[in-house]
Amino acid sequence: MITIDVRLPLEHFDLAVAAELRGRAVGLLGPSGSGKTSLLEAIAGLRRGVTGRIVREGEVLLDSAKGVRLPPERRRVGYVPQESLLFPHLSVEENVRYAMRGGSEEVFRDAVEILEIVPLLPRAPATLSGGERQRVALARAIASRPRLLLLDEPLAGVDVALRGRIVPYLLRIRDELAIPFLYVTHNTGEAALLLEEGLWLERGRLRATGPIGRVLEESARVGGDSGAVIENLFAGTLEELARDGVRGFRVGDARLFVPDPGHTGRGVYAVAPSDVLLAAAALPAVSARNVLEGMVSSARDAGGLRLVSVEASGLAWTVSLTAAAAAELGLEPGRRVWLAVKAAAFRPLS
Amino acid sequence: MRLALGVLLALFAPAQPPPPASADRELLVFAAASLTESVQEIAAAFQSRTGTRVTFSFGSSGDLARQIEAGAPADAFLSADTGMMDRIEGKGLVRREDRREFLSNTLVVVVPVDSTTSIGSAGDLAALPKLALADPASVPAGLYAKKWLEDAGVWKQIEPKVVPTLDVRACLAAVASGAMPAGVVYITDAAVSEKVRIAWVVADGPRILYSFAPVAASKRAAAAKAFLEFAGGSEGRAVFERRGFRTLPVSAR
Amino acid sequence: MSADLSIVLLTLRVALAATLVVLPVGVLAAWWLARWRGPGRSLVETMLALPLVLPPTAVGLLLLELLRPAGAIGRLLSGLNLEVLFTWKAAAIASAVMAFPLMVRPVRTAFEEADPRLTSLARSLGDGPIRAFRRIALPLAWRGILAGTVLAFARAVGEFGATILIAGSIPGRTQTLALAIFHRTQIGQDAEALRLVAITVAIAFVALWSTELLRTRRSRRLRGEP
Repeated sequence: MITIDVRLPLEHFDLAVAAELRGRAVGLLGPSGSGKTSLLEAIAGLRRGVTGRIVREGEVLLDSAKGVRLPPERRRVGYVPQESLLFPHLSVEENVRYAMRGGSEEVFRDAVEILEIVPLLPRAPATLSGGERQRVALARAIASRPRLLLLDEPLAGVDVALRGRIVPYLLRIRDELAIPFLYVTHNTGEAALLLEEGLWLERGRLRATGPIGRVLEESARVGGDSGAVIENLFAGTLEELARDGVRGFRVGDARLFVPDPGHTGRGVYAVAPSDVLLAAAALPAVSARNVLEGMVSSARDAGGLRLVSVEASGLAWTVSLTAAAAAELGLEPGRRVWLAVKAAAFRPLS
Repeated sequence: MRLALGVLLALFAPAQPPPPASADRELLVFAAASLTESVQEIAAAFQSRTGTRVTFSFGSSGDLARQIEAGAPADAFLSADTGMMDRIEGKGLVRREDRREFLSNTLVVVVPVDSTTSIGSAGDLAALPKLALADPASVPAGLYAKKWLEDAGVWKQIEPKVVPTLDVRACLAAVASGAMPAGVVYITDAAVSEKVRIAWVVADGPRILYSFAPVAASKRAAAAKAFLEFAGGSEGRAVFERRGFRTLPVSAR
Repeated sequence: MSADLSIVLLTLRVALAATLVVLPVGVLAAWWLARWRGPGRSLVETMLALPLVLPPTAVGLLLLELLRPAGAIGRLLSGLNLEVLFTWKAAAIASAVMAFPLMVRPVRTAFEEADPRLTSLARSLGDGPIRAFRRIALPLAWRGILAGTVLAFARAVGEFGATILIAGSIPGRTQTLALAIFHRTQIGQDAEALRLVAITVAIAFVALWSTELLRTRRSRRLRGEP
């Protein structure tokens, strides 16, 4: 969807990124201060001193060699910054309608309904909670009918429960509205769930690109403390099958068991890496409802613990163990392992 | 919002009777402060006679001359001395043949009405702690007073005690308020205030001669000339004399 | 009494005219000063602040040199047959020049304190630079603009030194409240002067009070209170 080949001098280093992105949901990952926000701003046209080329689906946004530099208002790029930045002197409705000049009432309806902010419309931004503000900011960006969305850590600084409530909206934007987006995050779980492709940026340079799974792996292998938040996130469908307070949850080809929420339909669940038990041999009989067979794909150290990436039942899992336990089990890539997760460990996010 | 707009419109509507059509019917005359009551009375008579309204800006002749030089839209200038008029004529702003000089006045020393100060000569002024004069640097009344005191040989002693005021009426007010023990003004000014009394009439002072002229560049030159003629005519002179001015039999030029 | 009324109306006309001119020019100057990082900014800053620091009579004399028939601007005016000196327009100009820095300062502070990312965001939502300025930067600086307007208006009402030099104190045409108060005290009409002082106080009171009302009402609205 977008070809980038840009250079931008920053305070401590130069940002130099060349990539061709085709997915509809691309992640921008990397440690703080590596230039992710600057790259987004460069694409949005909000930075001076950017040289190179940016082409979005055939439309040239920047070609410094030819002197083409589209001003931000003509790029049709929706930018949702980290702090939502709602216009404080306008009501929620006025904020959402900001980019719409006349425009289709249907677009407005879609935006406010998908983000579920209809009851908030007459309110002043100062009276909203953090999560509400983020939803309004998303609605505002969508209502401008962008051809590309730039989301700068939209879920950072939002507490876990709230975050869970917004993730489904992002999925809907990706799937129902089909607006391609570039998504900055520290949260590998979010990345794994929402994104198809990834860019790993460090000190202004690309260290990895490609399918999100591979990028996540490589970044994990490269290691270092990137301040990433690790979570296992799964989006799937709650099934009819329910028994003893537990319901079936189908994700891809795998069936997991989660606490029964009392209904079927779409669901998003999170499992903390420390809630996943790892066994080096098959588990005969165990109390956990979820037992999966898989293979270790990578392992790394992180703050005194060992983080092991496992692929099981077609799903990507991150498991954290103490270094001692990991050493005992001898977990090298390629090792066959079994995972056990209690149903209660699955936290609903929607 | 609409109220605000309405107020704005009302304010920017001309405060005077509106322009071109009746422009000829209103004169702006710059006049020496000492002429205040007399020319206002003459102007009232002139208006009932001709329908032309006269508005005045009173001040010191020096200041008024400065304004005219800078382009102030005066139609006529009534100066308290010929010096200021010469200055203006030198700049080509009035024509010699248009000047009318027929009015004179007398200097007096005034003191606050309840003051016991007695003045018998110019020299007695030197005994006072302070003396109010219309600024001797630029106001005719002050210039005349200074000439009088110089001729009497006492200026050097008195000069350090002089408190200059912006014009002769300010000088009068300073004495009337009791702030100054004495001041030199025209006899016609003293008549205007009940709070001062005349302590000495200057019989041997310099020759005082007012100079009147229409401003050459004025768009209402005809009406200005008419007003000056009227002021110098029998009716005008009667008003001046009644108020204490002296008129000269024939225009001096 | 009607003499007093015409003095008041004249003063209001002069002050409003000055404020109406200073408002847009001052806001734009404040915006430029707040955003421009290039060379020349300090120089412009200093020059714009001069009327604050110079004695009003000095400013008046400079204006007189510019506006007199032979002066740089005076020549233009004569060519266009425009009479400015010693008319209410000159009084308005004197007031405008003296009030200008008082408008620029608080507005510039307001612009500087506002989050520049909000205007950037407006740009990314489709606004050109002028539209973004109008819809975001300007309304967000309202406190500074309000403060600047009140200060400028008050300064314009009270202007004396520059006014007397380029507009004179012509009753009915350029004799504003400040000039009239001075004139009346000069000729000993203290009671009449005090009457004008009372009127001036009343005007100042109304101006400040309505500004305060506007400010609290808008603050409440922005916080979401009814």
